[in-house]
Amino acid sequence: MRTRREVARRVFAKEFNSSRYKLGGNAEKEPVYVLTPLGLKCNRIFIIGALIEKEETKPDSEVLRIRIADPTGSFLGFVGKFDPEAKVSLTEIDIPSTVAVTAKARLLERGWRVIPFIRPETINLSDFESRDYWILETAKATMKRIEMMKGDSELARLAREKYNPNLEEYKEMVVSALMRLKEEVEISEEREESIEESIEEEILDLNDLF
Amino acid sequence: MEKIQSIVNEIYEIFKDYNVSKSEIEKRLKLLIFEFKVPEDEAKRTIINGLRRDLNLSREALRFPLTKIADLEPGKGVSVKAKVIQLWEPTSQSIAQWGVIGDETGTARFVIWAKSAKRKVEEGKNYIFERVFVDEFGGIKSIKVTSISEVREIEEDIEVSENWGEIEITGALVSISQNSGLVQVCKICGKVIEAGICKEHGKVEWNEVLRLRGVIDDGERTYDVEMEENCIKELTGLDLRTAKKMAFEHLDRGIVLLELKKKLLGRYLKISGDLKFRTVNVKKAEFFKTKVREEVDKVLEEVKAL
Repeated sequence: MRTRREVARRVFAKEFNSSRYKLGGNAEKEPVYVLTPLGLKCNRIFIIGALIEKEETKPDSEVLRIRIADPTGSFLGFVGKFDPEAKVSLTEIDIPSTVAVTAKARLLERGWRVIPFIRPETINLSDFESRDYWILETAKATMKRIEMMKGDSELARLAREKYNPNLEEYKEMVVSALMRLKEEVEISEEREESIEESIEEEILDLNDLF
Repeated sequence: MEKIQSIVNEIYEIFKDYNVSKSEIEKRLKLLIFEFKVPEDEAKRTIINGLRRDLNLSREALRFPLTKIADLEPGKGVSVKAKVIQLWEPTSQSIAQWGVIGDETGTARFVIWAKSAKRKVEEGKNYIFERVFVDEFGGIKSIKVTSISEVREIEEDIEVSENWGEIEITGALVSISQNSGLVQVCKICGKVIEAGICKEHGKVEWNEVLRLRGVIDDGERTYDVEMEENCIKELTGLDLRTAKKMAFEHLDRGIVLLELKKKLLGRYLKISGDLKFRTVNVKKAEFFKTKVREEVDKVLEEVKAL
């Protein structure tokens, strides 16, 4: 039987970024998983968020560093020549844009420092409506994990032992992410004006120089 | 005589999976009622007990009769011989295992409760699920394995019906395979050919089709999906004719795949179709729309109650 495709988990940036431990990868071909503080074991994740950063790590390195923000924080990602599809689509996407991303979940280990990051497989333009639904389903998935952490499953025990997470903190995270969905989504004209103003100010500054 | 027939049918129902014929039951029944002048219900009981002894069945087994998947009725206690086709990851710690089982008549879901403390079943193996309960959710039948149940592996290789029934799923399209788009398929087997050569049938005649092979993922499970021209058109407006035109103008059929990826990858889709092993042959597809705001309040309540 062919190996089963890893499910793309739904997880908020704050939970993902607090991950420090890996699971699996012991036997040959056994996938590596990131273990999050709420006992999620993920090899692949699916995100819809705002692409807010996209730049080359080093000049001519051909590796792009990106950031994708959700209501709780941002995912750090690297896109290199090993993910040609993601790389090609990235070149056509401006920042900021709402994007849907399927990515491998990874940990970068540098001595005692461990930094969670993602390696996108596909990146596509998305929209606010899909993003709102992503926040909703990710809130639900996170809730299930908080509930699970109160129990005695193997993953719950492991996550407690490694992270001893404050469940209240994660509950608050879910609540505040959901509250963001209730905000009136209306970009006020004021804000646009202020951007214009600041541009004008910059121009003024430049004029002063001459 | 009508009364006799109805008792015969009643007894037959109980033993129909054990190769007992109606005429056999009728012969025994007539003998008791007409020759021995035994009252009807006494006769019925005698025959049931007799057959049970002959077939070496426990009383309990009769209360949980061996049932084909197509005949499962919600609320009943049954036993089922089936192959485990798919295992899903448990979504709650009260579930030890769950997934899909099948026999030659159809498929159903199964749930093994953690409390039942059963040995794990494996995909592709055959089992008898004894003393399980049937229920139904959203038109899908499922059997529940509890602590009174027994799950035993059997030697028999159960052939699974091709017809798995209709399924509806909502999730993100997370992958589109490279053999999607405007492709040439072998006229004999329908598989994609390369440079006019089919891997199985050699140099063959081919058809040019618009199709999509991909993966829909709802965060808990993945489904392989296959879409033909009609669904692709419904979603993207692209049909075979326009796809051919695009490919011709760009001198490259790859442009069609690129277009499908641009329009569909990362989108939430609601699809329905026939499930066969892990693959859904999509009959209907639409972009998933939901009233997020209305749901937010409900979920907020739930979080606060945690």
